[in-house]
Amino acid sequence: MPPLGFTLQAFTNLGFWSGVLVVAGIYAVVALGLQLNVGYTGILNFGQAAFMAVGGYSMAILVLEGGLSFWLALPAAVLITMAFGVLVGLPSLRLRADYFAIVTLAMAEVVRLAAQNARDLTGGTKGLYCEFEGVNQTCFDDSWKSVSGWILDRFESFWSDPEPLLPLLIVIWATVALGLVVLRRLQGTPWGRVLRAIREDEDAARALGKNTVLHKLQSLAISAVLGAFAGFFLALFLATIHPDDYQPIVTFFAFGVLVLGGLASYSGVVVGAILLWTLLEGTRFVELPISEEKTAALRFAIVGAVLIGLMAFRPQGLFGKREEMVLGRGGPR
Amino acid sequence: MSAGGGTLLEVDGVVKRFGGVRAVDGAGFALSPGTVTALIGPNGAGKTTLFDTLTGFQRADRGSARLAGEEVLHLPAYAIARRGMVRTFQITRALAAMPVIDNMMLAAADQPGERLHDLLLRPGTVRRREREVRERAGELLDTFDLARLADDYAGTLSGGQRKLLELARALMARPRLLLLDEPMAGINPTLGRRLLEHMQRLRRGEGMTFLFVEHDMEVVMNHSDRVIVMAEGRVIADGEPALVREEPAVIDAYLGSTA
Repeated sequence: MPPLGFTLQAFTNLGFWSGVLVVAGIYAVVALGLQLNVGYTGILNFGQAAFMAVGGYSMAILVLEGGLSFWLALPAAVLITMAFGVLVGLPSLRLRADYFAIVTLAMAEVVRLAAQNARDLTGGTKGLYCEFEGVNQTCFDDSWKSVSGWILDRFESFWSDPEPLLPLLIVIWATVALGLVVLRRLQGTPWGRVLRAIREDEDAARALGKNTVLHKLQSLAISAVLGAFAGFFLALFLATIHPDDYQPIVTFFAFGVLVLGGLASYSGVVVGAILLWTLLEGTRFVELPISEEKTAALRFAIVGAVLIGLMAFRPQGLFGKREEMVLGRGGPR
Repeated sequence: MSAGGGTLLEVDGVVKRFGGVRAVDGAGFALSPGTVTALIGPNGAGKTTLFDTLTGFQRADRGSARLAGEEVLHLPAYAIARRGMVRTFQITRALAAMPVIDNMMLAAADQPGERLHDLLLRPGTVRRREREVRERAGELLDTFDLARLADDYAGTLSGGQRKLLELARALMARPRLLLLDEPMAGINPTLGRRLLEHMQRLRRGEGMTFLFVEHDMEVVMNHSDRVIVMAEGRVIADGEPALVREEPAVIDAYLGSTA
């Protein structure tokens, strides 16, 4: 091994990129919801990982335990996650922004630890994947696998060995595109204007006759739905649902995406997600004369340094508006 | 005031405690439609707390406030504003990172586009209403000499311009009764005079009712029909400016001597 090597081979590898783009796409979906909450409504939602968990677990439990078809379980799980978001928001959205952040962070840990311990329902630390009845095996992603296989078959007519992640990649990025279009359009409506007013000064919005609690609940519910979708995609990508995949770090990575892309910019979030995951995965290939674990830790240090550099030289992120950041909350009044 | 006008706002026995302090201690008064009333009193008299309880920003411990006959004291702030009692704040609350025009358009009442289902089901109505709202916002900005700043971020406005914006924005909500907390504080005399002219014009032209907190006695005496004096959470005098000025209790309260 050379003392300091860096192989570019990986960057021409389709498998590398599809892996990066699947994860980046999942994080883009998560961070779109966060952008709606944090960037446009001013509510600090630190519980996005819980919405992913509730979405993923409800879907899998409905399929495996409830015997529901995968295609019915998806919308049902979306509704469950949305209701969960409203339930969390109802008491806590009356709190000040920083207290709300603490409540959502705690809520995410409650969900994860509950999933870890409710073994009968969630499989505990073994996670959820398949159920066995004699020789019959039912997995939550059976229906998806047949669709995915069907798509890959279409590709095979002109591509001898299609990338197996391609169908998931297509579905994820179609969701990102749809989410991006819908959210951007919503932002330009009178509804979006009320959200921005809440971000700027909730009391002023209330004084002008705006039901701010209702609008914050709606913002949180939409974000929860996006979280549920990200939860589905993560479950299909990993082919399992495990409590460890919903650690608070998931939410923090999504916040990293937000900071990188810039507050109050939906397209920034998408670019930020691709950049962050290229950086995180790409640095895997830096070869240093140190142990594997140290290299792994160094990757995060590099990402950290990039974020700090960004804060210092471009605090509004890549696509954020500097004026809104300087004038808005936290800036001088 | 017309004979059938009656009372627009009737406040009775409002109490608001903070711990052991009775910030508002049984305040009561009535406002007739189309009048301009000044609310004065020494610092700590409970004027702002009274505003806060009347507009739903603080829960009153006791008392009642009827707006055009309807009890509003228990309602949330947004619901009170929608019923036509709109307030401004002592420290201006411009939505800094939003353009001036968006500050104005936000305040419009009856925009169905603020409801998600109406955005989907009645997009035409939303667009039509949005055009009306933009037009009305433009007119008001013209009146208040803010039109050329329409596309600037509200955070870039001067203190005086923010005061004007806040009044113009409150008018977008089509209030029947405006509660202004120190509208003249921190702005230059020219702008202050303009603000007073706007107030008189709105009262005459549209029959709007005003209750405003003010410390400048010259303004209070010359620009209000009635003066309400508060001290230690109670109303100690209520009447025409000239009469209130002679009231011994008022003089005591202001000079701080014990009667």
